Amino acid sequence: MLSYLISYVIMASTYGVAALALNIQWGFTGLMNFGIGAFYIIGAYTSAILTTPQSAEYVGGFGLPFIVGLIGAAAVSAFVAYLLAFPALRLKGGFFAISMLVISETIRIIVKNEGWLTNGVWGIRGIPKPVRAIVGSDISEYIYLAIALVLLGGVYWLVERGVRSPWGRVLSAIKEDSDTAAMSGKDVWHYKMQSMVFGAAVMGVAGSLYAHYTGFISPESFTPLMATFIVWLMILLGGTGNNKGVVLGAFVVWGVWIGSEFLIDFLPSAMVTKAGFVRMLLMGILLDAILLLRPQGLFGKEKEISTIGD
Amino acid sequence: MADLFVNGIILGSIITLGAIGVTLIADILNFFNFAHGDMFSFGAYMTLFFLGIFPNWGTFPGLTFGPAMIVAALLAMGITAAFALFFDRILFKPLRERGASSLFLALSALGVAFIFRSIIRLVWGPQVQYYSRALQMAKRFPMGITIKPDEFFIVGAAFFLVLVVYLFLKRTKMGKAMRAASDNETLARVTGIDTEKVVIWTWIIAVSLTAAAGILYGIEVQLRPIMGWNILIPIFVAVIVGGVGNLWGALVGGMIIGVAQELLTGVLQNMFNAMNVDVLMSAYKPAVAFVLMIIVLLVRPEGIFGTGE
Repeated sequence: MLSYLISYVIMASTYGVAALALNIQWGFTGLMNFGIGAFYIIGAYTSAILTTPQSAEYVGGFGLPFIVGLIGAAAVSAFVAYLLAFPALRLKGGFFAISMLVISETIRIIVKNEGWLTNGVWGIRGIPKPVRAIVGSDISEYIYLAIALVLLGGVYWLVERGVRSPWGRVLSAIKEDSDTAAMSGKDVWHYKMQSMVFGAAVMGVAGSLYAHYTGFISPESFTPLMATFIVWLMILLGGTGNNKGVVLGAFVVWGVWIGSEFLIDFLPSAMVTKAGFVRMLLMGILLDAILLLRPQGLFGKEKEISTIGD
Repeated sequence: MADLFVNGIILGSIITLGAIGVTLIADILNFFNFAHGDMFSFGAYMTLFFLGIFPNWGTFPGLTFGPAMIVAALLAMGITAAFALFFDRILFKPLRERGASSLFLALSALGVAFIFRSIIRLVWGPQVQYYSRALQMAKRFPMGITIKPDEFFIVGAAFFLVLVVYLFLKRTKMGKAMRAASDNETLARVTGIDTEKVVIWTWIIAVSLTAAAGILYGIEVQLRPIMGWNILIPIFVAVIVGGVGNLWGALVGGMIIGVAQELLTGVLQNMFNAMNVDVLMSAYKPAVAFVLMIIVLLVRPEGIFGTGE
């Protein structure tokens, strides 16, 4: 039971990190990123390639420590986001969303087909968990739990600091009305770029956390449902633009997801194979129900500026 | 080369049917319908269902299907449109009346996409399915072009449907109302056009077309639950290339993306084969769509037929 709980908290924290990242982009800047999976998968694979031992199947591995993988994941995700921002950020609203979707599907295809780089559909296994070799698998679970929580806390602190700074207020201004922000002399494009790159780096961190926890990644781990859609559900449930809310949203949605797995045990065996699709159906209905019944989410948007003049 | 081009036209005519719907919804309902691809699949699977319950009425000479397919397709198009109207009533309409932004509507459409896809997987399972397992001999034409009789039907049916939609928009009163609503919704409403009726007709046309496209795709290739999600990308790109809100833009954009996907991946594959480089270019068709989209957005962001308003 305890191991279930640990596993739940680690995965929920991982998704919490991704949800905070989306909150930067969508919640505070209004960038509708339908391609979270792109940066999540890049982070996971970067970290896996950097930390696994030398392999004949794919590039590397380099056998480097976890922390290098983590930083590398953030750096490579950020760099790719930086390059993609040039064409993508010229687009507004739905066009941006479409381009991000196309980008993430393209990256998933590359991961799937370029076996020399990623080992293709077979994926990468044996991604090391930090200090496991020294302390054994039981204690390393606890340590990983601590790492996940510290990273979640760190990212939360960073995002909170960011959005409450002058920088964050410009992002909010851009979200509300980018023309007015531009007229006030703000370089809208650069701020959007920074928001996109910052968010992508954090998504890369989430990918790295995921890879080291499960120890095995393949293109199938990063379906649009599990890599993008579920994160959207988390921030919409928790409250777009509210950092506490989106972290809570991550824990609630992941709880529902895991909880529904227990229910599968009670299903007749003929239904078991289809249970995954029932969950997917529930997630779709939940998303639309939130948009319809409580568009502000559980918490709603918090004021991230001073209340002077309110 | 020529054969790849022809394949591109076949694929392009299927993409066009999807793109017309996306462009109509984007223009009149003011959001990108991310559920369009899964409605495409739903139409194809509903047809499979009807084919299963119909008696065998034989096949058309030379084709792999017969009159049953036509009846099944029409029923499936109607049912898919009815589902879309149901979602409009319970979801999109309340959001619209609340004044939800186009991004909000796009997001709710993404939810609908997942609902459709999971229903398809629950009812029909995840495995690949076929309307007919009959093999068809391709007819040979000069320049190495090979075309199956089914493919003549696919392109013919697609162009017939485009023509029907064109005449509907041009000649009928509802078509004119739709064009008026797309130009200026407020003005349309004050001049007495029933905009809710316009919305209903937009859904009916857009969704029955994408269902038809799904069925044609099912005839040409096979049925998989993910097929609609995969084709959503070229459909969106066709709309962007052609320019949002333009029927001819959807047609030209659909053809360009269809041909570009087939030609580019095919030519590169031949090149890599000659160089003994081991890659599977056909997997990169969505990447071609991506490159094409970027080029258009950089060179002519409003699309070929767009007015850039």
